[in-house]
Amino acid sequence: MNNIILECRNLTKIFGTVKALDNVTLSIPRGKIVGLLGPNASGKTTFIKLCNQLLTPNEGEILIGGMKPGIETKKIVSYLPEKNYLNEWMKVSDIINLFSDFYADFNTEKAYDMLKNLDIRPKDKLKSMSKGTKEKVQLILVMSREAQLYLLDEPIGGVDPAARDYILDTILGNYNENATIIISTHIISDIEKILDEVIFIREGRIVLTNTVDEIREEYGKSVDSLFREVFKC
Amino acid sequence: MHWDIKTDRPIYTQLIEQIQLKICSGVYPPGSRLPSVRDLAREASVNPNTMQRALAELEEAGLLYTHRTSGRFVTEDTDMIKHVKNSLAEKHVQEFLKKMIELGFDSSEIMSIISEMMKREGDET
Amino acid sequence: MLGKLIKYEIKATVRLFLPLYAALLLFSLINRFVNPFAINEPVNINLQMILRIISMTAYYILLVGTLVMTLVIMIQRFYKNLLGDEGYLMFTLPVKTWQHIISKLLVSMMWTIVSFAVAVSSIIIIANIGNLTNKLAEMIKAVRNFTGDTAFFLIPVFALMGIAFYTVMIYAAIALGHLFQKHKIIASFGMFCVLYFIYQLCAVIVLIILAGPVIGAITPSWEPTQHQISVFLLSFLILSGALTAVNFAVTNTILHKRLNLE
Repeated sequence: MNNIILECRNLTKIFGTVKALDNVTLSIPRGKIVGLLGPNASGKTTFIKLCNQLLTPNEGEILIGGMKPGIETKKIVSYLPEKNYLNEWMKVSDIINLFSDFYADFNTEKAYDMLKNLDIRPKDKLKSMSKGTKEKVQLILVMSREAQLYLLDEPIGGVDPAARDYILDTILGNYNENATIIISTHIISDIEKILDEVIFIREGRIVLTNTVDEIREEYGKSVDSLFREVFKC
Repeated sequence: MHWDIKTDRPIYTQLIEQIQLKICSGVYPPGSRLPSVRDLAREASVNPNTMQRALAELEEAGLLYTHRTSGRFVTEDTDMIKHVKNSLAEKHVQEFLKKMIELGFDSSEIMSIISEMMKREGDET
Repeated sequence: MLGKLIKYEIKATVRLFLPLYAALLLFSLINRFVNPFAINEPVNINLQMILRIISMTAYYILLVGTLVMTLVIMIQRFYKNLLGDEGYLMFTLPVKTWQHIISKLLVSMMWTIVSFAVAVSSIIIIANIGNLTNKLAEMIKAVRNFTGDTAFFLIPVFALMGIAFYTVMIYAAIALGHLFQKHKIIASFGMFCVLYFIYQLCAVIVLIILAGPVIGAITPSWEPTQHQISVFLLSFLILSGALTAVNFAVTNTILHKRLNLE
């Protein structure tokens, strides 16, 4: 099996006159937790959406497990979007049924276990839940799949520090070890310990890729402080 | 169990130090089985690959060994653990001495500060 | 996978339609009871009359509402579920794009037919027609005599095709509107007008071709022959079938190759 899970070449995406992604070329191996780090509107979400075929690139190509985005890549990619995509009228158990109906790698038992740990009742309607709870339900759905590539867009963006710990613990505790996780975020201090590698992205371009420990060794500082330096206004 | 990861140094070297510490202090007694990489990583909230790297280095140094089927164990060689304990102690003392010299104390002054403090602590307990 | 999509599409829509149908049928029963069509009975301006007016108004609102809702839900399911936030989930399911469109189309057609059937039933309930089955059979027989067998059996196919044609045209208009950077909804309306104009143009061309041979025969008292009726129906069946295929292909290509969920 090829050791590269995600590869993209000369990827460019333009919205109107703005280049959201500008000629991005990178490859990410299997079995890594990678941080896609950049300030708001730097192209993180655009990149992840391109990988999910929710956006169409203007130029360049993406290969996931050697395949172009399509039905076969959707079977192996588990995606957490930055917005709430749940059908409001459903109960939690309905959406779990939907996931297990469509994704062969969905582990229903695991999903119910995680719900139980968070005191979320399967019979509750999504409509009646707070934003934070809905985000947790989405994370549970995404992490209950035994996927090869997890694309998590701002999983800790809007939550309090306690929930942040829970989310990171859920990610660490549930991903399949040969899988790769890409986490996009602009909040780095809490997350850098769980990352192998980081990619700094600014204005649609990649400005740095390195491992967390090499950054610490080379610069004698945390990724968080380096990030603050690179992206200071 | 507490893991304390500082921000300015590579994570894997800090993990090595803290596992050494846990072995020396008896949290992981000689000959005992370590939790799996995944569990340790989760406990310390660090990347499993980084934890793996730290464990591999400790194994290389002989402090840990892997049994093919049943997992990873702390060495039964208590002399070796003692040795690690001593070198950890040396390292801490060296750091301490360096700072004291920077503050301008000479060795006899340092000795008297230490003995006085230890006496006081002894009285308190 | 198509079966599962259809299952979820029905689940998502049934909770909207059933209460509407129930309310409509309930109010038609109430109206039958208070007998709004008995206008030749002497009535005073009293409570009974007010009740009649209220129940009749409610019924009409529900009747029109059911038909309008059928259209609105059809558009909303396509626009919101595929091109809104829910599209993030739908388009990351390992399902082919055409399966999404087909599942939405089939379920929408089903509801259009059911809504129509419920609306007709409600009218029948109110009208309180005695000997209903005989009268229906007579009517059907008269139509069949007029159109001839071929055309008679083409009518339901023609109706189904018509529903599919308009539904897919709306899908195509929404998909084309999606290609615009801004004002996507207005663009979709515009695109619907364009598609409708193209259809009218084709229809006129077909009419001219069809009318050519019989143009001399068209007089105010002209009655089409049964053969002419079937040719007419068949031609429009083929035309709307062809345009539906084109619109479907346009929708599928845009959603598959030009999707941009923002």
